[in-house]
Amino acid sequence: MEFLFDNITALGALTAIALGFGALLGFAAVKFKVDGNPIVEQIDALLPQTQCGQCGHPGCRPYAEGLAEGEEINKCVPGGEDTIRALADLLGREFVPLDEEHGQTPETKMVAVIREAECIGCTKCIQACPMDAILGAAKQMHTVIADECTGCDLCVEPCPVDCIDMLPVPETLQTWHWDAPKGIGNRPGELIPVRNIA
Amino acid sequence: MIQVEVAYALPEKQLIVPLSVKKGTTMYDAVVQSGIADKFAGLDVDAVPMGVFGKAERKPKERVLEEGERVELYRPLIADPKEVRKKRAAKKAAGEE
Repeated sequence: MEFLFDNITALGALTAIALGFGALLGFAAVKFKVDGNPIVEQIDALLPQTQCGQCGHPGCRPYAEGLAEGEEINKCVPGGEDTIRALADLLGREFVPLDEEHGQTPETKMVAVIREAECIGCTKCIQACPMDAILGAAKQMHTVIADECTGCDLCVEPCPVDCIDMLPVPETLQTWHWDAPKGIGNRPGELIPVRNIA
Repeated sequence: MIQVEVAYALPEKQLIVPLSVKKGTTMYDAVVQSGIADKFAGLDVDAVPMGVFGKAERKPKERVLEEGERVELYRPLIADPKEVRKKRAAKKAAGEE
């Protein structure tokens, strides 16, 4: 009789523990639920946000989601080598050179320029521009805001009168800058080793 | 207060002025407050057509702005769209023959 009683006690205790932890887990699952994949945010922060679509996705965020699911890290043309290195660091993958299929990083920065004498004010380029870098409305002159233009050339194709040229940004005293140094510390996320000497 | 922008663009000089304005400010008021007319010679804020993000607005003095909107001041076209289209059609026809 006593043997049976012990068994029931043990069973009861185990059931109570199981239910207790079950409830705890259930509560935690609801309370600490994470919306979306947090790594996507981090990846998205490394992408250049030009929304140019050259990677085959409609924008940077969809590519970030693709990357989180294991897509190749070498599809971002505007980001170039620096972005690939930063992604490799973040995701713990090997560095791979830019996939030429998606385009080449132009050596010089390009900017779109509209030949005004031919613009018919159709707004097609404005709708194509991911950066809102073209100012204009229907039957009004369209003008590229050079500082906002990333040179992605998405506006060239939609223009029905072919009046948009991609021109290299002229190097003036205002636009000239030192090239980033090659070597250690020039990539995002890479720390410059510092040694303190007493 | 809400954040808006006022923008005007010439081929060689473009300007976007960020601005914080009171809620209920109209497009026209924002343009005046931005002082953009002082930066471009010959820009008359009373006559220039304006719009928000590529859409022209007929009555800029009545259109109330919302957070994040960009007021744009437009310039007229140089080409006559009909002429350009005619020319293109003629060119195409000539090319096909």
